[in-house]
Amino acid sequence: MYSIETKSLTKSFGDLVAVNDVSFSVEKGEIFGFLGPNGAGKSTTMMIFTTLLKPTSGKALIAGFDVMKDAKKVRENIGFVQQETTVDEYLSGRENLLLQAKLNHIPKNEINKRIDEILDLIELSDKQDQAVVTYSGGMRKRLDIAGGLLHHPKVLFLDEPTVGLDIQTRRKIWQYIKKIHIEFEMTIFVTTHYMEEADNLCDRIGIIDGGKIQVIDSPQNMKNALGNEIISLAVENNSNHDSFLVELKKIEFIKKINEDESKLILFTSNGTEVIPKIFQISSRLGIKINTISLTQPTLDDVFISYTGHEIRDDNSKFNRKLEHAKMKRLRA
Amino acid sequence: MNSIMYDTYTIFWRELKRYKKSRSGVLIRLIQPAIWIIVVGNIFSETQPLIQSVGFEGEYIEFMAPGVIILTAIFTSIFGGVNTLWDRRYGFMNKALTSPISRSAIALGKMSAISLIAALQASLIIGIALAIGVTFPNPLMIIPIMGIVILFSLGFSGISVTLAATAKSQETFWGMINLLGMPLFMLSPALFPLELLPNWLAVIAKLNPVTYTVLLVRELMTGVSEGGVPILISIAVIVAFVIAMVAIASYVFTREVNKPF
Repeated sequence: MYSIETKSLTKSFGDLVAVNDVSFSVEKGEIFGFLGPNGAGKSTTMMIFTTLLKPTSGKALIAGFDVMKDAKKVRENIGFVQQETTVDEYLSGRENLLLQAKLNHIPKNEINKRIDEILDLIELSDKQDQAVVTYSGGMRKRLDIAGGLLHHPKVLFLDEPTVGLDIQTRRKIWQYIKKIHIEFEMTIFVTTHYMEEADNLCDRIGIIDGGKIQVIDSPQNMKNALGNEIISLAVENNSNHDSFLVELKKIEFIKKINEDESKLILFTSNGTEVIPKIFQISSRLGIKINTISLTQPTLDDVFISYTGHEIRDDNSKFNRKLEHAKMKRLRA
Repeated sequence: MNSIMYDTYTIFWRELKRYKKSRSGVLIRLIQPAIWIIVVGNIFSETQPLIQSVGFEGEYIEFMAPGVIILTAIFTSIFGGVNTLWDRRYGFMNKALTSPISRSAIALGKMSAISLIAALQASLIIGIALAIGVTFPNPLMIIPIMGIVILFSLGFSGISVTLAATAKSQETFWGMINLLGMPLFMLSPALFPLELLPNWLAVIAKLNPVTYTVLLVRELMTGVSEGGVPILISIAVIVAFVIAMVAIASYVFTREVNKPF
């Protein structure tokens, strides 16, 4: 049985399709990352999974229960940690967890034990009786995540868990997520637009852009599919440029070439052997190479190769329209 | 059924915790009714002959004290739903909606907490009234009065939760509250006897549940029956009002929170 299973899941707002015919499944115990720029459809998908939105068409099963027909069963089996921290500032850390325990129907005689256990895990035991108002951003996030898994859900949903936190705190939060994953053996579904986060945390990643899944695989496989190295070239344009490209493509290790203004990006393997060949071709054609570099591919490169743009590049027409529609609804 | 009680209590507990932690809020909410009873009560003290004409023997301030108690209950409870908007804005609502508790338990928990808070605020106003010399012929009457205030506030908290669930912004909510609160208070015998209203206003006032609550509390407090409405009729009107409001609020809340905010 899969923890999450979707078939042709679609959600539209008016004539805007936010999630477009998405089908995939997440296995039990996996940490699955949903990676995409703002407005790609990540949050909408997550809201469908957590029963906050009904899909326009298609199906989604969470822990085996249909989000449409069995919403209550789904809610009993999930934990949901939202993007913005939702802990109650005026209550203490412990009171916040107590509220969470009651909301999720944890048996009375177990509540205190569970809270002690989780406070220990997130290292907040000594601050548990202070009002959350006195906590730092990272501590609040930890408390929020703890609240989401207090009732040992089968599937834990984390929406952009480290957005707005500094890099050190972010790393710390990743450690906690990994720790709870091992401790409670739950499936974790996390959305993010940080490459590093997806790379660090996830067993598998789905890249979503424009409401559609572009690719699903492990971060390592994704990088390997591009060849394990990247050569970037800055060349001066001349009339032989096209034949230069043709010749480059003939080099056997090169898997893909992206052109970005004056820069050529070659996805390749055996980079150290490829570089001399590049120089041979360029000198034959009289092409001047200004700089050349050899790097390991990052998930950023993977993202660009599948979507044709960078993840921070939010300016595609589709996103702007969708954001506009959302704002309009908010103001109504 | 058992679980809806438990869930309602969970939300009730949370709302009261938040109330307890906002000590300044308790005092701020007292300022307006305190001004009413102290300032307006004294400004209109010369109107004693007017209220005597309908058979009320005491001071004007004793006549209007029950009105101010109800004013406190109206405004505390009708404002009370505003945190529904905050909860939707800052994610607590989504947290509750993705947990196994039922939607109507959220609404019921909020309403019961609001009505208890309104009654607490009203009891503080009773304290102020006593302090400035309003007397109770029978001090034991405070118990049924508090019961009525709690019940009545539950109805107004229903109005508040309904409005907060439908309003998409703070501005809409406050606009609606002001549109409703003051007229409902003014169109009641809270400040002046029903008999002194022009006919057409008296008809409107008779449709207002606030009217019956004020008459009832005034009768219990001062022992003077006014307006010719029997106690049982007043109680029946209040109960019907409360049942209707709580039902509407649960229904509207459940429907509205299922829509994206």
